[in-house]
Amino acid sequence: MLPAIATHALTRSFDGFTAVDHIDLAVEPGQFFGFLGPNGAGKSTTIKMLTGLLAPSSGSVQILGQDLFYNPIEVKRQIGVVPEGMALFARLTALEYLRFVGRMYGLDKATTEQRAAELLEFMGLADQARKLIADYSHGMGKKLALAAAVIHGPRVLFLDEPFEGVDAIAAGTLKAMLQGMIARGATIFLTSHVLEIVERLCSHVAIINHGQIVAHGSLEELRAGVQACWPPDAAAREENPPQGNLTLEQIFLKVVGGEAAAHPEQELTWLS
Amino acid sequence: MAELETPAQPPRQGSAPAWTSAQTRTQFTAIAWLRWRITANSLARRGGAGELAGRASTAMIFFLFLFLCVLGAGLVGFLCVSQGHMERIAWLLWGIFLLCQLLNIQLGQRATNFDPVQLIRFPMRESNYVAIRLFFGILTPANVTGTLMALAAALGVVAAAPALWLQALIALGAFAATNVLFSRMLFAWVDRWLSTRRSRELFTSFILAISLAVQWANFTFNPAYNHHSTHAYSLSPQHLAWITHLLRSSAPVLAVLPPELAGSSLSAARLGHTLGFAGDTLADCAYGALFLLVFALRMRREFRGENLSETAFGVRPAKISPAKLRGGPTPAATQTLPSAALPAAARLRLLELVTTVLQKEILYARRNMGVLYGLLMPIFLVVIFASKFASVAQSPVWVFPAAVAYILLAVCPLSYNIFGLDGTGVQIFFLAPVRMRDVILAKNLLSVLTAAIEVILIFFLIAAMAGAPSPEIALATLLWAAGTLGVNLILGNQRSLASPWRIDPQRLARRQTSPLSALLSLAVLAVCAGLAVLLYAGCLWLHAMWALAPASALFAAAGMGAYAQTLRSMDGLALQHREELMQELCKLS
Repeated sequence: MLPAIATHALTRSFDGFTAVDHIDLAVEPGQFFGFLGPNGAGKSTTIKMLTGLLAPSSGSVQILGQDLFYNPIEVKRQIGVVPEGMALFARLTALEYLRFVGRMYGLDKATTEQRAAELLEFMGLADQARKLIADYSHGMGKKLALAAAVIHGPRVLFLDEPFEGVDAIAAGTLKAMLQGMIARGATIFLTSHVLEIVERLCSHVAIINHGQIVAHGSLEELRAGVQACWPPDAAAREENPPQGNLTLEQIFLKVVGGEAAAHPEQELTWLS
Repeated sequence: MAELETPAQPPRQGSAPAWTSAQTRTQFTAIAWLRWRITANSLARRGGAGELAGRASTAMIFFLFLFLCVLGAGLVGFLCVSQGHMERIAWLLWGIFLLCQLLNIQLGQRATNFDPVQLIRFPMRESNYVAIRLFFGILTPANVTGTLMALAAALGVVAAAPALWLQALIALGAFAATNVLFSRMLFAWVDRWLSTRRSRELFTSFILAISLAVQWANFTFNPAYNHHSTHAYSLSPQHLAWITHLLRSSAPVLAVLPPELAGSSLSAARLGHTLGFAGDTLADCAYGALFLLVFALRMRREFRGENLSETAFGVRPAKISPAKLRGGPTPAATQTLPSAALPAAARLRLLELVTTVLQKEILYARRNMGVLYGLLMPIFLVVIFASKFASVAQSPVWVFPAAVAYILLAVCPLSYNIFGLDGTGVQIFFLAPVRMRDVILAKNLLSVLTAAIEVILIFFLIAAMAGAPSPEIALATLLWAAGTLGVNLILGNQRSLASPWRIDPQRLARRQTSPLSALLSLAVLAVCAGLAVLLYAGCLWLHAMWALAPASALFAAAGMGAYAQTLRSMDGLALQHREELMQELCKLS
């Protein structure tokens, strides 16, 4: 089966600085895929290249077997995106915005109307539907951006920090919606700094650091890999490997943050 | 309970040393540096050199205006004193005051390039914050103009009566300071009142209505526009009497306001009444102190963390139905559709896309007071202008072409920044399965439709009010307008993609495009107008007026043909410039 998302040697440089360096990714259809990394590691740059918002310096992107750069229209019909800036039009109402996005994705008027109303109800925005988006809070904007990203029923969904600023109740609803999409065969590519959310939702994870993929696989594979790498003399240094399953946070810190934790002398002693 | 007793203010162990004035100076330097770096970095961006050139050109026009104003103020000050009419200095000062406020409204308060409210998170004294807010951003065109005019008036007074040099400098210096403090106070409070979108929109409508009224008054009463009229609207003795009565009845109130106080202090100085001079000058200074106090009160509230954000008002918590929480959602919207299963009818056709984008553009234009004003104001002015020719059987040959050129002057700049109002929404055009060529076509269509509607409207208005233009002139003008619009759209689309300019709808500014783009649109229009004049003169000279329409048709065909050609390259150009677009339009406000 063709991967839902595949990249080959995807690279992006900015004035001599390589933000994303020859990354090869393969996300299978139906996977809930978490894409993690510390700040500035290249997550947003990667997601922008995967969705056509940014041109790569080299490499290729294939979505559902189609090349993003040769068949951009066909690929874009299959994907939904909540980008970093949310892509909202501040001077439209939520209903107008969803109507607009639905039509942009080629939905007919009746379907757009039905889905817009349903999504607004589902997101808890129905009673705010005639308010300008400019007057929305950040969390409301996020919910609306997510509604717009799924209005055309995408087969692949890219989410850049979708839960940032969303209240706990709405976050629970959104998670249930995303899991429902996965159950119906969609693929979701998610970046988030909240590792608990990624651990709860995602079956597979990739970790990017300094523009390169440093870990890639299912959560179990990553756990096994990290535990296997635990130094045999750790016990002698009183660094006992955790008992039971490693959490994603522990895996993440081990993979990208281990160096910082290993140097307590770097502590900022002037802090009270 | 003894163990609970503690000294009233126990000395904190290891508490921070006292804040020093050197640290305050460092803060001031850091803020000045920050402003400089933000400006320098924005100019260092791609296209920054062009923007700098655009700003330099605008600055040159402003400096010319400033020079004339300053020269005029100095001359009037000199004439008032040398001709023994010292009391008329007050009129000059009222003029300076009103011009200053009008410029503040028309040009806006020069926005600082960062939100100064962010400074409240730093360890800063309240007084320092007030000082920073007072001085940073003080060099608005209006304040500079007002201050330099007052000083020029003082120099004029000194030139006519050298003995009064000290009093003139003191009185007019105090007036200039009071004027600036008034502006700072007024706009600080206006910002407070305009913290919500609705109040901002109401205020913008109010300001624009005043602006239209000023334009009407200018056309109606300015003798320069009344040479050929029937004098129906010129200043009649009744009007004059009414204005004189109004001025007389308001004189007691005006007499205790800063311009009159500054004027009367100079009159007192001229007569050698030292006490009168000192009293009036002190009263003027008291006004300045009052304005400063009111400004400081506003800044104090701001410093203490007043939250005026848009969303602070009236946002109700969202309700989510318990059923959805229990069972999880299965909305039709989230059902995946395999690509092949999409019905053919659902595939986006060009017409559908253009209609969708056009609808969105119309909604946006309707909700943007600046755009609406720009579109409606020319019609309003053309109506007033056409009314000047109401008494003649047929309007002069240039009236319709001039009116159309004026309409294009308002419409064309909009095509130089077609994504400016979209903000982060511009990403949708790159994410959706659409061609940028079609999106740009739809956006251009709005400009073409707007121009067409306005030109048709103007044609009928001029025909009704000043007589219809001759058929060959009307046809040639329409064809010229089509060609000019085509040329403008070609360049406008390029500039929209290569040099976008984020328009912040939260601000009152009416600038719809970058200074360089605005200048380019003006230049293109001037060149096209020059071409039209050449064509007309050529036809007149050759006694071949019949050739005017075909020649204009050739121009229209060339303009529109070239536009259609460049439209094909828009997909590639948009991809090439998408990073500039995202960088500018998705930046944080």
